Amino acid sequence: MDFSPFLILLVAFGVMSGTLAGLLGVGGGIFMVPFLVLAVGLTQQEAQATSLLVVLPTAIVATWSLYKSGVVDLRKAFKIGLCGVLGSIAGSALALHLPGQALKICFAVLLTIVGLKLLRDAKRTPSQRSLKAEEPPTPADAIEP
Amino acid sequence: MSSGAFRGRESFYYLAIGMIGGLLSGLLGIGGGTVMVPLMVLWLGTAQREAHALSLAAIIPISLVAVVVYGQAGKVDPLAALALTLGAIFGARIGAGLLAKASERPLKFAFGFFLLVAALLLVLEG
Repeated sequence: MDFSPFLILLVAFGVMSGTLAGLLGVGGGIFMVPFLVLAVGLTQQEAQATSLLVVLPTAIVATWSLYKSGVVDLRKAFKIGLCGVLGSIAGSALALHLPGQALKICFAVLLTIVGLKLLRDAKRTPSQRSLKAEEPPTPADAIEP
Repeated sequence: MSSGAFRGRESFYYLAIGMIGGLLSGLLGIGGGTVMVPLMVLWLGTAQREAHALSLAAIIPISLVAVVVYGQAGKVDPLAALALTLGAIFGARIGAGLLAKASERPLKFAFGFFLLVAALLLVLEG
């Protein structure tokens, strides 16, 4: 492995993935795992273990920055997170007994539908945030997928 | 701003979202944020920025436990983890700064587009 250019590439990819993670409210594993497999040549398992280790400091730094800007309710978030811990332990146990491939395809279809809905909602959202902030979601919005 | 009281019914929904996010994340090996953000936005009508911020903070305990339970020290590439982390903590500040200032519409567009990419990656990775 040719060290320095390679490390620069990794750091640069980290900046990109961290920026998207902080903006989108996700951990960033979804960007890093394919990159580590395809560009770095790690196995899927190595890539997942490595990305897990990067997601934690990314989320901590982004949360700290948002906390300082007064954007995040930490108590509420950690309650959600603790439930998430319970859910993810249950999910990992269930994963051993369910058809992973089929589930992933179903979930990908669901994500596509939800993604398209958000894009359509975005088109309807007035560009000034103040207008939207006061407006409760309509029943029709809540029912749609 | 999200400092409202954590009231009964709303509280229940948020906790359920954490649970569902964690469940799908463990089941499918994806990040919890991909699940939690759309649930908050579509189910509870949470503003996009608040949902992103809550999701990021909720990821801390979830990923902490995941590192301890599934981290498998032997499988980690320490050099890659270190280099990516150096970049990512720098990027996280930029991203969180953008999030703190962004308005609803561009965030919805960005997240909607992200979900389409996530769906594609999920199928391609198999």
